[in-house]
Amino acid sequence: MDRKTYKREVDALPFSPDFQARTEAMLRGRARGTEKEMLRVKFWKKTALIAAAAALLVVSASAVALRLSAGQVAGELGQHTLAQAFEDHNAVAVNETVQTGDYSVTLMGLTSGANLDDLNVDVDATHTYAVVALGRLDGTPLENETFDLIGHTLTPLVSGYAPGQVNNWTLAASVYGIAQDGVYYFLLDAGALGVFADHTVYLAFYDESAVPSARIFTMAEDGSISFAEDYPGAHALFVLPLDPALADPAAAQALVEPFLPGEDTAGETPVQESAPAPDSPVLTPVHADA
Amino acid sequence: MRKLASFGTDETISRVVGQYSAMLLRLAAARLPCVADAEDAVQEVFVRLLDTRPVFRDAEHEKAWLIRATLHRAADIRRKRAREAPLEELAELSVEPPEPGPELLGAVRALPEKYAAVLHLYYYEEYSIKEIAKLLGLPAGTVGTRLARGRERLRQMLKEEA
Repeated sequence: MDRKTYKREVDALPFSPDFQARTEAMLRGRARGTEKEMLRVKFWKKTALIAAAAALLVVSASAVALRLSAGQVAGELGQHTLAQAFEDHNAVAVNETVQTGDYSVTLMGLTSGANLDDLNVDVDATHTYAVVALGRLDGTPLENETFDLIGHTLTPLVSGYAPGQVNNWTLAASVYGIAQDGVYYFLLDAGALGVFADHTVYLAFYDESAVPSARIFTMAEDGSISFAEDYPGAHALFVLPLDPALADPAAAQALVEPFLPGEDTAGETPVQESAPAPDSPVLTPVHADA
Repeated sequence: MRKLASFGTDETISRVVGQYSAMLLRLAAARLPCVADAEDAVQEVFVRLLDTRPVFRDAEHEKAWLIRATLHRAADIRRKRAREAPLEELAELSVEPPEPGPELLGAVRALPEKYAAVLHLYYYEEYSIKEIAKLLGLPAGTVGTRLARGRERLRQMLKEEA
């Protein structure tokens, strides 16, 4: 590979000359907006405590008719290898439903494996995939044209790691979605989640676009994670039945290393409800789960 | 060791965007054929940095986070573009022919991320194998292997094209 040729070709790329200025301006505006939002959330959290007792009911069967299987969802999304994987003996059918707010949220199933992603040939490592169905309890259909996929969050979390450390972003998880028969189906590629299988691994759903943080989640001393008691929106938290054989503590450590706090910051900002900055995930030392 | 100031003040925004934009744009463009997609990917990484405000041990820790986040985001965008492609193109996408444009860069883009990222960081940014290993969180031996295999794949790809 000729370094000079490669550099010349990269240097010739027509990046926007104002990229830096535009990006700085956008980030400054967003930073100011975040500060206002933090104040608004603090006020709102105090005044909306009753609403915060968002009814959350775990039931065994979905109140919404699900006409697709997990494999069919993958197939509808063009993931035929994955569709097959959801049908074979390595897949786990969960079919656990939580009714929360206006929604019924069902974790249909999950599977793990390498080279299952037809749409991304880069994925040759073992990834975990989950299918989740979302329906409205009042029967109002969810449709592709109107459903705001990025206005909802589906994220893996791992006990012992602060939600800001291990989540959909840090694991490079991706979500696809498709509506069918009024139900919205999510297909989550949770990345190399299996390496954490010696911990309790969760799948959290909530109906806003926000990074998992101390505003949304709390972590107990034993590392277990739950939604904040006063979290007001629709939300559900499932435990993923991952195969413990997938656990790889060394790989897990390598994965989270960039997101761990510095040595001199360890324990500086423990996860608790009074944590200072909503929307800002708090980084804490890793606790052993097992 | 002194931790870096949290991202979000005017000063830190200027420092981080000024210091890393060009490098991250080049890295994203080594994975994404569309310059606008590369710019979107890097902007989204900065937004995520602002939203999450991780505490970094030092400048190297910060740089590693940004590089990995950019690669993750670029992979997301590649996947999204593949999803948007008409079904008849999916078979072609699965073998990822080089995109039209610069020959060598196009070939690097066509490689799987594990090779392309290492080749780009080595040949353009001129990081050593040891430095790349630290940035990507990989053993140095793995980086060396990826570099060798990536070069070999590239050689074959360009030979077939010729």
